[in-house]
Amino acid sequence: MVDILATPFLWVVATIALYGVAYWGYGKWIDRNVWRSDAKKATPAHMYMDGVEYFPVSRYVLWGYQFKSVAALGPILGPFIGITFGWLPALLWIIAGNFFIGWLQDYGSMMLSVRKEGRSFGPITYEFTGARGRTNLLAFVLFYLVIISATFIALIASFWIAFPGTFVATIGIILAGVLCGQLLYRMKMNVFAVTGIGLALVVVSIYLGVLFPVSLPFGDWNLPIWAFICALILGAAAILPTPMFVQPTNYLAFYPAYAAIILILVGALITPFTNTTVQMPAGPFLFDPQGILGPIWPILFVAIACGAISGWHSLVSSSSSSKQLDIETDALPVGGGAMLSEGLLALASLIAYMVLAPSFFVGRTNVAAWVQGAVVLTTPMLGALTAPVLRTFFGLVLIIYALTVQALVTRFFRLVAGETWAEGRFRALGNKYVSTAVGLGIPWGFAVSGSWWALWLYFGGANQLLAGLAIMLITIHLARVRAPSRYSLIPGVFMVITTLAALIWQTGTFVWSVWAYLQNDKTWVIRNVRGPIQSDPNLLIVAVAINAVFVIVGAALFIVGLSMAIRLFRSYSQSITQARGKAPAAADGGTVEKKSR
Amino acid sequence: MADSKDPAKPKSRGRKVKEGVKGVFYGMAAHGHVTAALRTRMYLEHLFMFITLGDMLGVPVIPPYYSLKILPYAVPNIKSWKQRVFRERDFTDQVF
Repeated sequence: MVDILATPFLWVVATIALYGVAYWGYGKWIDRNVWRSDAKKATPAHMYMDGVEYFPVSRYVLWGYQFKSVAALGPILGPFIGITFGWLPALLWIIAGNFFIGWLQDYGSMMLSVRKEGRSFGPITYEFTGARGRTNLLAFVLFYLVIISATFIALIASFWIAFPGTFVATIGIILAGVLCGQLLYRMKMNVFAVTGIGLALVVVSIYLGVLFPVSLPFGDWNLPIWAFICALILGAAAILPTPMFVQPTNYLAFYPAYAAIILILVGALITPFTNTTVQMPAGPFLFDPQGILGPIWPILFVAIACGAISGWHSLVSSSSSSKQLDIETDALPVGGGAMLSEGLLALASLIAYMVLAPSFFVGRTNVAAWVQGAVVLTTPMLGALTAPVLRTFFGLVLIIYALTVQALVTRFFRLVAGETWAEGRFRALGNKYVSTAVGLGIPWGFAVSGSWWALWLYFGGANQLLAGLAIMLITIHLARVRAPSRYSLIPGVFMVITTLAALIWQTGTFVWSVWAYLQNDKTWVIRNVRGPIQSDPNLLIVAVAINAVFVIVGAALFIVGLSMAIRLFRSYSQSITQARGKAPAAADGGTVEKKSR
Repeated sequence: MADSKDPAKPKSRGRKVKEGVKGVFYGMAAHGHVTAALRTRMYLEHLFMFITLGDMLGVPVIPPYYSLKILPYAVPNIKSWKQRVFRERDFTDQVF
């Protein structure tokens, strides 16, 4: 047995304990004293029950649904960049971010929606900030979806390159999903039998992947081609009816994805017995030692999004879970509990990076380091399985996490585009096929040209800004009903300022790169691109153009985000002024408010 | 002998845990798909109601003779149809 302090064991235990305090201590206190949740109060699920969107669901079911909806690639890859500043700051952000902000946002979004009759963030934004605020949100979400798509397409293509066995396995799992869908919906077969057949096919797919690794022979052009194949698969997922493709594939993908996380967590807990020690430096490094990313603030706080706090969760909490909450007091276990559990997923991923040598992180291009860490943690337990099988399995898990979420994101983009351009001069963009092509074509362009970490930081910035804006909506509501709002105001202000600063920094990096190019320094421009554009000197001008496009994207995100933030702070200020003229009321909508004069 | 699944009988801790685990598992693996399927059915029902009761909205989609024949099947759904159709909807409702 090795020195226990040299293993990740104690950090896992300490984080779990602190999350326990966040839930049973701080969480219960906020629930009781700020939101004053009332189990006897009718929720939208009961008030508007229609058996389709509004119906009460057990807290266990809803917790599972919420967790599955929020836990994806974010908490897995965020720590890969976050560990740049040392594993200790990354761990502290995963703990403190979730403790004070993350769960508060997910839970608060759900409670806000419940108190607003199950309405989602679009109508609530309209109520608090007016029509322009909602249009602003729509524009922001469209940008956000493009950036997410670019990031995930880039990552999936990179994973297929890094793990040649995973392509056959991915196709296998997709075909198995389609087959299961047919068996389930057309042949009306028993769900357990279908699941058994599906899982057997998943195992066969992994085995076939190991036997038949696929590598493309096109050198630097491999990435664009893999990304194109990925876009084709996602296009099919967005256009075909969900029961035919997305639903059964996501269902089948669920099993290996969660089995992997459980394996890693168990692997981390038994590290004192498996002689697996922490290899990475603890830090903290105030600046990226490799000189790529910049300062710890604000970069770390946008690099690790999901697992600490993520804006995507606020959309999930307010769009579907809030409509099915049985009683108000379930919001804490469902919203808060699921977020804290996702923190454990981020922790598991961070541990997988901590046990690797620092050489894995040089240049920050080895996006598949997580797989190596997972293999290191689980090999002592699963000695019977060979390393190639484990690598294919964990590589497939990464792809599954990205692919299943991205399929939903592409569908969502299509629906949002359909709404945005339903009429007017650009109504062709609202067409199902055109919007899907746009929603994948633009991200494909970003994915094959920009460096993945640059995309990730834009994704993190947009995601965290959405979180900050969601917390501000929560704060405005609390201020309006004269409930204590400082517990959400402080995190909201912190998130908005931090993420806007991150967007400025990131945009400034691209501006500096273009400026340096004009001063005959090509290294910066080249550093921010990838693939053939990076290696071919004839494509230098394309690299400059891509840097310029990234400047525009960053500036647009910043302006839209800033505009939204100003509207929200103004609305908060008005709410405070109005609320001061009234006597204290409950956070339940202010039904017992009285005039103070 | 009383039925062990009698709803009036308080649940044992073991049964509660079993139901909880089952619920979590169902929620993770299938709940989203079930609600998506329900939503698909809802849209098809909306279409059916629109076709059969289009007259109510001033849109005579099919001849009234056939509408009247289908009416007994459609009438029980009118209330929930109206409730769903009149509900405020937004792009943020479509995330999942």
